[in-house]
Amino acid sequence: MTRFTRRGAGVVVRLYASEQELLLRLAAQLIELLGQRGRPSPADVLFAQAGIGGRSAPPLDPALARLLPDAYRHDREAASEHRHLTELALVQRKVENARRFQNSLRDDAAEAILDADGIQSWLRTLTDMRLALAARLQIEVDGDAGTGDDAMLEIYDWLGYLQGSLLEVLP
Amino acid sequence: MTTLTEASSMTTMSESSSLRLGGPVPHPAPARGSSPVCTSHPLLRSASGSDTLERLDLSTRDATDAPWLTIVWNDPVNLQTYVSYVFRTYFGFTASRAERLMLQVHNDGRAVVASGGREQMERHVEAMHDYGLWATLTRDAP
Repeated sequence: MTRFTRRGAGVVVRLYASEQELLLRLAAQLIELLGQRGRPSPADVLFAQAGIGGRSAPPLDPALARLLPDAYRHDREAASEHRHLTELALVQRKVENARRFQNSLRDDAAEAILDADGIQSWLRTLTDMRLALAARLQIEVDGDAGTGDDAMLEIYDWLGYLQGSLLEVLP
Repeated sequence: MTTLTEASSMTTMSESSSLRLGGPVPHPAPARGSSPVCTSHPLLRSASGSDTLERLDLSTRDATDAPWLTIVWNDPVNLQTYVSYVFRTYFGFTASRAERLMLQVHNDGRAVVASGGREQMERHVEAMHDYGLWATLTRDAP
């Protein structure tokens, strides 16, 4: 079935109910995962409102580490400082994307219509889901087939197929 | 490709087993009530290509004074079509330039996609992280 069709500046998405449920569940898990980095320390609440005051050290969980990479590769001090100032805001933007993605799927209608923001939330959230799944599957360099759960691998590939299909209809 | 039955079987399996996208984390933060306030962020500032282009042009001019570089690194996850799309829509590159840089990332493991002042390169890197691309900034040639 054709899942994505251009309609004006927007895109129409058609999914089976089971696919819709799967995507909603993955988005909820992504939000939960990101939430583990989304809490400021109480002293930093005011800064947190401006998206400042996150952690300084990279996440130990490889999925989070891939979603929230260091901005400096060979300068640990600069990387820490930058992370402290920007990570919380990055987490918030990623969560916002995932929520927008969820909202586009909430209706029981057979099709969802994405405007420009909706399209961005889909592209970015599908990417974040795949990054997190790849970390769980230990897909680390080109050519890694992925180890572990076959179902998870299938979902990973399917998300890539979905994203590729969406990109095909974009200008 | 994916049929309804495949999709529903995936659904069932993901419920039952190890789809641990939000899996256990070594050091969870203590929950102290206050969740972060979701300020509204210009999520799509990256989508407005013209502003970016303008800034890029400025950056090229003072590149010798402030030779910071934005580098995008290869990763096994992101689709080539997606990386090209990001280069086109965020940086405003032509399709052929975006394609060339994407292939450079893929084949050489990295590509310099912008140069200029440090703050500006930090903004580019953050935008790339928004897209899920692996990017860093540096002062030295990679």
